[in-house]
Formats: sequence, C-alpha cells, structure tokens
Amino acid sequence: MASIPLGTAQGLTGPANRHRARQASPQASHASPGRRADLRASTLTMARKRVALIAFGFALATAVLVLRVAMMGVFGGTGGFTPAGDALLPDRGMIVDRNGVPLARDFKSYALWFNPKAMEGGEPLTRPAGEVAARLVDIFPDMDEADLERRLASGKGQYLRRRILPEEANRVFEIGEPALSPPAEPSRYYPEGNLAAHVLGYVGADGKGHVGMEEVFNTSLTDPSTRGTEQVLAIDSRVQAALEDELLRGMGLAQAKGAGGIVLDVDTGEVVALASLPSFDPNHIDQKGMELMFNRVTNQVYELGSTFKPLAVAAAIDAGVVTNLAKTYPAGKPLRVGRFSIRDSHTIGQNINVPEILIHSSNIGTAQIADELGSVRMKRTMERLGFNERPYIELPARGFPIWRSGEWPRLTTMTVSYGHGIAVTPLHLASAYAAMVNGGIWRPATLKKLSPDEVPEGRRVFKESTSARMRQLLRLIVTDGTGRKADAPGFRLGGKTGSAEKPGDGGYRRTSLVTTFASAFPMDNPRYVVITMYDEPKGTAATSYQRTAAWNAAAAVGRIVPRIGPMLGIYPDENREIDLSDVRPLLEKGGAH
Amino acid sequence: MSLAPQFEGGNFQRGAGGVHIARRSTTRRNGRWHELTVWWREIDKVLLTIVGLLMMAGVIGVAAGSAASAHRLSTAEKTLSDLHFFWMHLTWLVMGIATMFAASLLPRDSARRLSILLAAGMFVLLVAVPFVGSEINGARRWIRLGASFQPSEFYKPAFTVMLAWILSWRVRDPQLPVMVLSGAVLAVSVGLLMLQPDFGTAMLLCGVWFVLVVTVGLPLHRVGWAMGGIVALIVGAYFFYDNARRRIDDFLGGTEAYSQVDLANKTLTNGGWFGRGLWMGERKKALPEAHTDYILSVIGEEFGLIAVAGIALLFCALVVRVLWRLSGEDDLFTLLAGTGLATLLGGQAFINMAVNLQLFPSKGMTLPLISYGGSSMIALCLTVGLLLAVTRRNPYLTRDGLPKGPRR
Repeated sequence: MASIPLGTAQGLTGPANRHRARQASPQASHASPGRRADLRASTLTMARKRVALIAFGFALATAVLVLRVAMMGVFGGTGGFTPAGDALLPDRGMIVDRNGVPLARDFKSYALWFNPKAMEGGEPLTRPAGEVAARLVDIFPDMDEADLERRLASGKGQYLRRRILPEEANRVFEIGEPALSPPAEPSRYYPEGNLAAHVLGYVGADGKGHVGMEEVFNTSLTDPSTRGTEQVLAIDSRVQAALEDELLRGMGLAQAKGAGGIVLDVDTGEVVALASLPSFDPNHIDQKGMELMFNRVTNQVYELGSTFKPLAVAAAIDAGVVTNLAKTYPAGKPLRVGRFSIRDSHTIGQNINVPEILIHSSNIGTAQIADELGSVRMKRTMERLGFNERPYIELPARGFPIWRSGEWPRLTTMTVSYGHGIAVTPLHLASAYAAMVNGGIWRPATLKKLSPDEVPEGRRVFKESTSARMRQLLRLIVTDGTGRKADAPGFRLGGKTGSAEKPGDGGYRRTSLVTTFASAFPMDNPRYVVITMYDEPKGTAATSYQRTAAWNAAAAVGRIVPRIGPMLGIYPDENREIDLSDVRPLLEKGGAH
Repeated sequence: MSLAPQFEGGNFQRGAGGVHIARRSTTRRNGRWHELTVWWREIDKVLLTIVGLLMMAGVIGVAAGSAASAHRLSTAEKTLSDLHFFWMHLTWLVMGIATMFAASLLPRDSARRLSILLAAGMFVLLVAVPFVGSEINGARRWIRLGASFQPSEFYKPAFTVMLAWILSWRVRDPQLPVMVLSGAVLAVSVGLLMLQPDFGTAMLLCGVWFVLVVTVGLPLHRVGWAMGGIVALIVGAYFFYDNARRRIDDFLGGTEAYSQVDLANKTLTNGGWFGRGLWMGERKKALPEAHTDYILSVIGEEFGLIAVAGIALLFCALVVRVLWRLSGEDDLFTLLAGTGLATLLGGQAFINMAVNLQLFPSKGMTLPLISYGGSSMIALCLTVGLLLAVTRRNPYLTRDGLPKGPRR
C-alpha cells in the first residue's frame, strides 16, 4: 500500500479508509493544503446537512404512501369478482312475488346517443350532417330533420332520442356512422304495469328506489354482493290482481274517489295483497302519477266506524264483563252522556242482546258494553292491538293514528267502541282482526315472504275462547246482519261493516262517507283477513242508491273472496259451516228484525 | 483484538512472502478467510438485513403472482407451469445474491473503477440499442446476448457511481466545472434513453443527478430553478413525446374501464386490510404484469394493505438507514456514491409503489428486489452490492473531528 499513514489507526483499516488516505495525498490538487482542507470541511458540512434533508424527503414520501394505503383501506376496497363475473349481474336486483313471478326487473333498452368522439380525433361524421339527418328521419319519421341536422352539426355529445326499439337500433347501425351508437342502457321494468304499484314503488332518475319496497330494499338491490339474489315479497300477484280488479270495479259502480284493500294471512302477518286506488304506473312516472303515490292503506288514518264494534265486544268478553250473550241493553232512545247523546241510525229495539247489537250495528248498545268494560281495560286492549303507534310494515309511508293519550274520559271510551274519536289505517284494522279471529295472537304485518320458522311469536291480546266466540258473532253478522252482501256461498265468511262520516270543517259531514268491510274467512278455521274500503262512495243505480258499506265495501268482498279463495287453497264447500247453534237462537228469540 | 489478525494476515505476510510453499498455501487460505471476517466486520449488517427481508418479500410476492402471469403468457404451443416465474425468480435471485456478495467484497477504489468501466461499456451498448435492440411493447430497450438484457439497467448504478466520482472532484479543485461536466454526462445519457424510449429510467437518472448535485452543495435558489426545469421537462415530454403523453393522459384522463391502473387498483384493494391469503387472490388473474410492475398490487390482494404499508416502510428504512449513516461520513466520494445508490433504489421503489397506489402515471418500472428478476435482478443486486461496498466502515474507527455526525 503506497499511501502514507496519517494517523495511528489509519494504516490498520480496511478498504474503507484507503481512498481517503489517497485523496489526502498532495498529488492531485493545485490548491494549497490549507485552503483545500477548508473547502473539504465546508463541502462535507454542507453535504451532511443535505443528506439529512434528502432522508427527510424520503420519509415524507413514505408518509404519503402509507397515508394513501390507509385511505384505500378505509374508503376503497369495493370489489371482488362474483363467480359469474360482473357482466351477468343485474344493475339492480329483481323483486318477485311469493311464487317467483317477477314484479320489478332490469331491462336493457337502447338509446340513440350522438358520440362525436367516436372517430378518435377525426371529424364526428363521415358524411354531411344533412344526409345523416335525412337517414335518421327515415327511421324515425316523427323527428324534425332541420333540428336534427343542427344538433349533429353542433358536434356536441347528446341524446337524439331516449328510447328506441331493437329493430330501430339495427337500422341506425346500418347507417354506418360510428358516432351514432345506440348504447344499451339499464332501466327498470315492471312487467305487471300498475299492479301493486304502491307496494313496489319506482326507481327515479337518480337511480334510487322511492315510495315502496324499491326504497326499502334499495341497499340490497344495488349492492354487488347481494343484488344477484332476488327479493321475495309476501304478495301473491294473482290475489293482488283480483283485489285491484274488484276494488276498481266497485269504485266505478259507487263512483267513489278512491279505494283501498288488503289481504292478510291471519297466522303469519304476511300481506298477500295490498292495494290503494287509483294507482300509478311505475314504468312511467309523471306528475299525475306522483299525485297518486299516497298510500291509503298504510299512510292514511280514518275513523273506521262500526268495524271497531267487534273489537270492543271482544275486549268485554275477554275481560269477563259480558259473560252471557243473551244479556240485553236498552236501545230504545239515544244514550245521553253529559251533554252528548249517542244515537243509532234507526231504532233497533227497546232491549237488544249482544248478537243483535252487532248484526244491527247499534252504537247505543256497544257504548254501554264499553262503559261496563271501563276506560282502562278498553284503552289497554286498543294498545295491545297496536292502535297507538304507526302500523308495522316495511313500507316507508306509515300513518300515525289519531290516538288520545293519557287517561280516557268515559265518553272517549264509549265513542272508540264504535270507531269514533280514534283514527287508524286500514292496515291497523287488518292486523287487529287477524288477532281477533286467529285465536287471539297479534303479529306485525310484513311484505316479506316468511318461511315457517321466521313467523314471529306475536303477542296474545285475546283468549282462545274469546276468539272462538268472536268467529261465531262475525259469521252471524254476515248470515243475518249488515254483511249479507259479502256472503260468498261456501266460503264461510264473517265480517263487519263500517260507514263513518268523514270529519270536515266544524264536525262530521253527513254526505261524505268512508265505508269499510273488515272480514275473515273461512270462519270455521280462519286463514285470511280481507279488508276493503271506499272513500266517498255515492248512491248510484248500481248500489240501489245506497252509500253504506253493505252496498259497496261488503259487496266487493263478496266478489273478491270467490276469486282469491281457490288461489289461496280455500275451496267453497256448502257442507261446512262454523257451529252457530248456541248463538243463532238469541236472534230468533229477540225478534228485533 | 483487531490488530493481530490484520497485521498477521495483511502486510506482514506479504512482506515476508516466499518463505516456503506449505506456509504460503495456509496463509493464502487464511487471507481469504481473513478477508471475509473483515468484510463481515465492516459491512452494514442492518442494511443487509433490510435487503434480505425485501428479497424474502419478493420471493413470496413472485410466488403469488407467478400463476397469474404464467397463464397470461402461455401460448397454444407452450404452456408455462404455474410456478414457472417463481422457479426462474429463485434462479435469478441466487445469481443476484452472488453478484451482490462479490460486489460488496470490492474495496472502494475497485468498486469505483469497476463502475466507471461498466458505465463506459453500457454507454456503448446504449448507443447501439436503437440500432440492434429488439422491440417489446413499443420500446427498443433490449439487447440479446445469449439472454436478453437491458443495458440501461446496468447503466443506472454505474452512472450513479461515476457521477459521484465526478462531483467529488470538487474538493480537489474548486476550479473544475463539475456541475457542467456531470450535467453534460446526464444530458447525453437521457438523450440516449429517450431514443429507446425509456422515460422512466431517464427520469430516475435525472432524479439521482439532482439529489447528488443538491448534496454537493448547489445553492438552494438554483435547486428551485432545477425544480422548474423538471416541471418544464415533464411538460415538454408531454407535448413532444408520444409515449409519455399517452401514459400521462391515461393517468389524468378518466381511466378506461379496463385500464391497467384501474385493474391494479381493484387488485390492491380487494384484499382489505389483511388480505385473502397466499394464492387466494382473484383479481390478480386479470392483471397484466402481475409478477413485475404490479407485484405490489398482488401482494396487496393476498397479504393485505398492512403488508403494502410494511413494504413501503422497509424501503424507507433502507434509504434512511444508508443516509443516516452517511451523514457522519467524511469522505465526499463515499457520501455521494452511497447517497446516489440509495436514491436510485429508493426512487425506483417509490415510483413503482406510487404507480400501484394510483398516485403516479404508469412508468413501466419494477419494484426493486421484489419484482420478478431476470437481468434487472442482477443489476439491482449489483446496485445493492456497490452500496454495501461503499458503505463498508471499520467499526472501531471514530470519524474525523468535523461537525458531529452519529458515531458507530
């Protein structure tokens, strides 16, 4: 080694220091040793500082990368492949009815889109705009050629036509202009048109579901991991169609403003059909459709009138207040409570028993039973039936009942017993009737199809024996009372009419009614509750100039049940009947007809 | 304790050479052995550990990405086995480690001389590439000599050491125009690379030059000018250079549905924080260059974002470790060469990671020490070897009494 050791340690080092030793030797430089040492020292000092700066720069870059990774972890990470690939996945999941019939599905439709960039930098069109416009007008005769030419010449990307048929798309292809591309765009299609429109809702231009189950299921219908599976509703589209058809027919007959209806499984709470009329077309939402989206069955609260009477009687029987149906109540003159008097539409009899109260729909009689029951027990039963909260259903629009909180005065107890001073939705009433006839268990209503193990346990409102008694009384109303028009032969239907005056300015308006028929069938083993409701029906020739529920709502049920019964597995049987032998004699003896 | 073997094995024996044959043979073996012990004593073991960890990550990463690339590159005539690239990678890695070891054994002067020779040789090849090179993906970068290799890969470390050497003249004679000289070398190199075209490597060389020039003491206002120049260069590249424009456009413009960057991003995030597990990735199958440019995305899918962050931190540790140690160095060439080589490795790694994390337009650059190798693996191992060689340091020496740096 040629270098001269500069210090004691230097000669002993490895390769690391040889270079330094060489560099320090005088051979390579013209500068004086002193200046050189200064320069070396100052350069090195600078270099060391700068190296630290560069290290800091790298640390900063690392921080940026790690931050980016963290961001990806928090916000990113949408997606794995689905086994069949993204291409086969619908843009929005399908909604089907309980039997798998599609009610809402994806549908690719063509749009005529002008894409001036299709030629990648060249002129948008290969031919003059006028010629292309003329060829387009050949295909779409209703388009304005001059306007089309102007739009093509503008060179701006735009829709020329929003929806075109496949064969029209083929003819557009034949023009041979790359800029005229009919892209297939996803759109939502409701194969059954208006059917169950209020249940389904619609998909807006924003791509989100609105109003019905489209809104409720929006997340699972759009999430790539779940939208491949269809959403199954409890609705049976055949039953729904029959319900809507007959309600609409009745609406025409009675010239009503609107109608509502519901078919509910008494044992599970599944809503098999739910209709609010007039309805809208979810395939084509316009201003008129928007106005009709209000759901009468779940969102509008009504004073449902006499349909409440069986509930009050059931509460009294259940509480042991009415132990004998033959017990009579005076009904010969209006019942005075303070300054208020409760009347019947006509005098039914001086003394009438419980079955007579129901079949003739006596306000005076029911009010006395409720009075005996007392406000505490009356209110508790109504609470147990869910009348103090919004109805249980998935739909976003659910009306809050008009419900008197706090301790009920005696008069409120009495008016509630015949359905005044309390306003609930028809859906509330359906769930309550299901509890009254199914053995006494109240369950929340649902629009989702339930498997047997998904059926909620529910809560007991009435005793089994009360329920059995009420089935007899409801049947009696149809065989011998106001519900006769609903008595579809062989279906053992039972139910109660209700015709309530609509509240208006400063009291009730005698001319406008809300008529309801709440029923269940078959009464020897109830399976379904059917409720129909008309808003402001009129007396027409078709309804024998009558406006009350017996002539419209009950008549509709009488037409609906024979249609839907067989679809639901209930066939008419003239040889079967609920045993009425212990209650019917009470009517014959009373002689109040 | 350190004195004895040094004395015995080094100068003393050489001075007393030719005593008798048996003695000489044992001493020669002792010499080898001694050289190794000195190597082991002087080598930066922390750096060696970091490099080893990165190589291990690479082996696992290539194992993960191999099948995807093998399927993609299989043809009707030739089917590649799933682990084709894995076994190839191991082979190249063994050769690379040997290269690294050999290079790290070099004394600093020899390392410098070798680098300058290599730089000269590769320069000649770079001149030749536009004429004799073979074209892949629209760029003429490869030369076939038995196996094909990219001269630019080997030119990078050699150029860096050469640059350090030129700039270190500054302390010998402040009159020498080292800036201009190094700038000229850079300009010619970048020009040659642009002919291929190889935008990524050109950028990397500019970055190394910039860092070294800053280190050697360019006034900071001129650093500002240089920054402006880089921006101007990128803008210029955008307007006059098709390859660069396309890539920058791809990055800035709305990525097309199936662009590489988009696919890489989907792959990277598919594993969530903790990944899907080795060979459980799905997205990687749709990813081009799964074993090279986008290996970080594959690692992300199979081992999670945590692993991705870990690799970024490892590279950071590598660079900071080298620079921290060098900030106590009192030899300018060592300081510059070490800084330059670390910048080269770190710069390439950070650009690749930034591309994978969608912070940067696609560069066609591999992740050093991790991506599937080939000749570039050897070149990178050479880079690490040179880095180890110049940072060798006698642990029993204290540095000069210049402004205090860390002691080791």
